[in-house]
Amino acid sequence: MNLAQPNHPDSSQQERLEEPVLTLDQVTKRIGKKTIVDGLSFEVRRGEIVGLLGPNGAGKTTAIRMITGLITINEGDVRIAGHSIRNAFKQAIVHVGGIIENPEFYPYMSGFDNLKQAARMTDTVTDARIMEVIALLGLQEALHKKVKSYSLGMRQRLGIAQALLDRPKLLILDEPTNGLDPAGIREMRDYLKRISQSEGIAVLVSSHLLSEVEQMCTRVVVIQNGKWVTEHRIGDRKNATSMPELRLRVDRPSVAARVLKKLEHVQVTEVKEETSELACRVADADMPMLIDALREEKIAVYRITETKKSLEDEFLQWTGGNQIA
Amino acid sequence: MRNMTGLVHNEWLKLTKKKSFWVSPGLLAALTVLVTVMLYRFSANVAGIESGIAYAAGMLGASGTGQFVTVLSVVATAGIVAQEYAQGTIKFLLIRSRSRGEILVSKYLAVVLYILMMTVISFAVLFIAGGVTFGFGGTGEQWIEALKQGAYGFIYSLVYASLAFMVGVLTRSSGVSIGAGLIGTMFGAIVIQKDFYKYVLLPNADLSVYGTSGPPLPGMTVGFSLTVSAVYVALFLLAGYTVFRRRDIA
Ligand SMILES: Nc1ncnc2c1ncn2[C@@H]1O[C@H](COP(=O)(O)OP(=O)(O)O)[C@@H](O)[C@H]1O
Ligand SMILES: [Mg+2]
Repeated sequence: MNLAQPNHPDSSQQERLEEPVLTLDQVTKRIGKKTIVDGLSFEVRRGEIVGLLGPNGAGKTTAIRMITGLITINEGDVRIAGHSIRNAFKQAIVHVGGIIENPEFYPYMSGFDNLKQAARMTDTVTDARIMEVIALLGLQEALHKKVKSYSLGMRQRLGIAQALLDRPKLLILDEPTNGLDPAGIREMRDYLKRISQSEGIAVLVSSHLLSEVEQMCTRVVVIQNGKWVTEHRIGDRKNATSMPELRLRVDRPSVAARVLKKLEHVQVTEVKEETSELACRVADADMPMLIDALREEKIAVYRITETKKSLEDEFLQWTGGNQIA
Repeated sequence: MRNMTGLVHNEWLKLTKKKSFWVSPGLLAALTVLVTVMLYRFSANVAGIESGIAYAAGMLGASGTGQFVTVLSVVATAGIVAQEYAQGTIKFLLIRSRSRGEILVSKYLAVVLYILMMTVISFAVLFIAGGVTFGFGGTGEQWIEALKQGAYGFIYSLVYASLAFMVGVLTRSSGVSIGAGLIGTMFGAIVIQKDFYKYVLLPNADLSVYGTSGPPLPGMTVGFSLTVSAVYVALFLLAGYTVFRRRDIA
């Protein structure tokens, strides 16, 4: 586990005091002879948006089905706000709102009628709360239209609305951006951040897309073939790379490389004559010195870009170079 | 119990919010009127009918409009579980703080309400159409007989709807479920003259035979048939519950 340095000291304080909203403890699911989820353990805490990341077929949906009690658990247990989903289903699930796979509704009913359906299954959701959630997700206009006329983006929003109705402590979304266009994805990302902050709830989002998790989540749990692979706090990486890698396009790369190698705090990592490029690592503080040195040699600099080592590169390392679908 | 009202309300809305909802009651009313007109014009047996209510008493059973009620109720029942799977809304339904048992009971109660509604419609249309045709008078005894036949018709429909309900839970298919319910009603009139057949559901579901053709097999009574039917319905529900409670929702 790499939970090295949390970003905010006060959040780590909180973590020690509060028990996790969601705990998976060695959860295993077998169907036939196949072990689809294998001894999976992780936690999600209040205010966190945790990404459950893995290629298609990794077992994300299966894990989420176990968390929500839709399928039985062969070994291990899931605890939500301290209640076991196996032994105290109703007490556990009352804290969960979710969308599993696709947001499904009664197509011949309006969005409002569908939310009423969800509300009647609770003891607490009032019409005022329904209107509040509708406003939060900007669903006012579509409210009395039949769900069958909704776009996927609208169904996703209605899905989040029904999930939030009963003020859950844990929101679970299985591949929420699947099928959405880029604008829809951005919208979804903004909602999630807003919701996790405004309602202070824990969010678990599954995805097979690294870039998505990277932009949306505060932490990522990587699984493959049903097994836990690694966990990372997103943001840790920034501290690690205090010397970012830069790519320079210049007129004479090998001469430039010779100049830079003489500098004390600069590491030249690559020289590419054919593309007139060179790569080096340098701290922000030493950058002016680097520029001055190049100017002294009259080397023309056309372009400087930072080569971000993305989560994707790390992901490929974690999963042993397996392509993520 | 307050909680159960919410769930049953939901189930009722799922049935009634469909555009096609009024097709079945409409068809039932239309068929009932049509049958009344046909009988009046072409049948010699109607001469002795004294009133609309007496006519209703004679028609409510499984050999009359009770059969329509049953067929249409089986069709409605078949979708009540299967459609949740087909629409994917089963997940929407089961990730709430309600046990699967409660969900299933609420669905079954909606079925009971539906059959009740259909029976009442059939009763009302028979009474009105019969009244127009044969006159609205009628004795207290005729009313009691009509209510009894209405209850028998209701029980008959409920028995086969319960069968369809169970098959719907087990197979998640409305087609198979309708098939099972209808095959039951089709073979109900056939009697095998063997003692064990007393304990089969089919000859017991239609209680109206005791007033017309008599016991299907020697030794059978209304009470006996009622008990056998109740045991079958209980078994259907138990089987449905046992499977539904543990089933993986994939
Ligand atoms: N009901 C099932 N029966 C057999 N295999 C299944 C079943 N459900 C899922 N699987 C298999 O389990 C693996 C994980 O599936 P899933 O949890 O849907 O993955 P993900 O959501 O990460 O794409 C897949 O290989 C899938 O084929
Ligand atoms: Mg999936």
